[in-house]
Amino acid sequence: MKREDLIKKWLDNELSSQELEVFKRLEDYEALVKLSNNTMRFKAPEYNTQIELDDVLNTIKITRQQTNNWLKPLLRVAAIFAICFSVYYYTTTLDTNISTLAAQKTTIELPDASSVSLNALSTLTYNKKSWKNTRDVELNGEAFFKVAKGSTFNVTTSAGTVTVLGTQFNVKHRNNLFEVICYEGSVKVLHKSNTTILKPGDSFLIIDGKFIAKEKEINLNPSWINNESYFKSMSFAHVLHEFERQYNVTINSQNIDIEQLFTGSFVHNNKELALKSITLPLNLNYSIEKNNSIVLSRE
Amino acid sequence: MSKDLNDNICNETIFSSVFNKYSKDLHDFLYYKFGEAFNPKDKVQEAFIKLWQNCSKVSPSKAKSYLFTVANNLMLNEAAHQKVVLAYQKTVTKHHTNESPEFLMQENEYMIKLQKAISNLTEAQRSAFLLNRIEGKKHKEIAELLNISTKAVEKRIYGALKKLREDIDGI
Repeated sequence: MKREDLIKKWLDNELSSQELEVFKRLEDYEALVKLSNNTMRFKAPEYNTQIELDDVLNTIKITRQQTNNWLKPLLRVAAIFAICFSVYYYTTTLDTNISTLAAQKTTIELPDASSVSLNALSTLTYNKKSWKNTRDVELNGEAFFKVAKGSTFNVTTSAGTVTVLGTQFNVKHRNNLFEVICYEGSVKVLHKSNTTILKPGDSFLIIDGKFIAKEKEINLNPSWINNESYFKSMSFAHVLHEFERQYNVTINSQNIDIEQLFTGSFVHNNKELALKSITLPLNLNYSIEKNNSIVLSRE
Repeated sequence: MSKDLNDNICNETIFSSVFNKYSKDLHDFLYYKFGEAFNPKDKVQEAFIKLWQNCSKVSPSKAKSYLFTVANNLMLNEAAHQKVVLAYQKTVTKHHTNESPEFLMQENEYMIKLQKAISNLTEAQRSAFLLNRIEGKKHKEIAELLNISTKAVEKRIYGALKKLREDIDGI
């Protein structure tokens, strides 16, 4: 019994020096110490608490982020909605753009009862969304407006702005020419900070920045609405440009004087007849070449 | 141990201190009990991660027994009471200057016998005995770790020693 107690105390490192002496005298002292010493060689692998702690903390952080993962798909869905909405918003508020090609005319209804006839090679831009507040259209080319009564109606061109309340008028803006003809009601034209008010039959014509006075207009519509272009004392160059637009051709006018004035008209639906009507009065010859080009020459 | 009712382990500094206090003992315990086959380091990690996930439910005073129970169960799930063979260091610091081949052979034989004998101990005996002999833990410390009485620890360790002596020297 004494032996067992000694060994147990030895195992717990609690032997007093006296007891140790007694323990050393045990017959299997050597064997016990050998066993104990050799057992030490079964030591567990090194355990680095700091490294392991860092590992655990990292894992915890990753799992913590994963718990927030529901946010990610939600954000994706939200992003898709945001994109859809902005595309929808963008397209619905986008300006409406209408343009005609050469030899093409069109008539469009604006969001109110107003209507616009576009002559060949012209572009009209307006915004459906803001129509209720501001009736603004942008014009490049020539158009005849029949504006329904309502708030002010603005036609903006790079040469000037035409403001009306409810009338019928024609706006033509081609190259260096800016012409407004009023057919009904009254029209306010703003050109280079000069304001002019047109009464029915009045016209406003600027060529190369110079104001040109014109006689009273007696027709109710611009002639082009009836498929005819009418000119009165206009330079021949304008006539030829208009002809090019109406028939989608190119005219070679190298050999003739295009500055001379022309009074007359040509139709939009018969090329031969139209050519004759602009060349005969000026004693010109014409020849129709391939690829839609026409050469003019003196007789 | 302080008994703070509001205290739990969901705080990184508290968690770290718990880790520093118990991780090595837990690792050694798992190693001596189950051997290296089931990666005691990973089990320690897993146990601590489980502790973190349940940090609000476990007070610091309960953390130790929680960790030991969780890690032990994790091991038992994998290790179906297989025989545990622990590795020993092949090279040992030289105590003897005259190492005859005969001596080396005897030494080698002894180590193989000891390894086998340690494998034959019960898990309870082996973990207590090796924690005591190798890690130098007092009986009382082991009793605290394993939540058993000092007397039981003493019994396990003495039992282990007796069994080893029987297996090796035939006493």
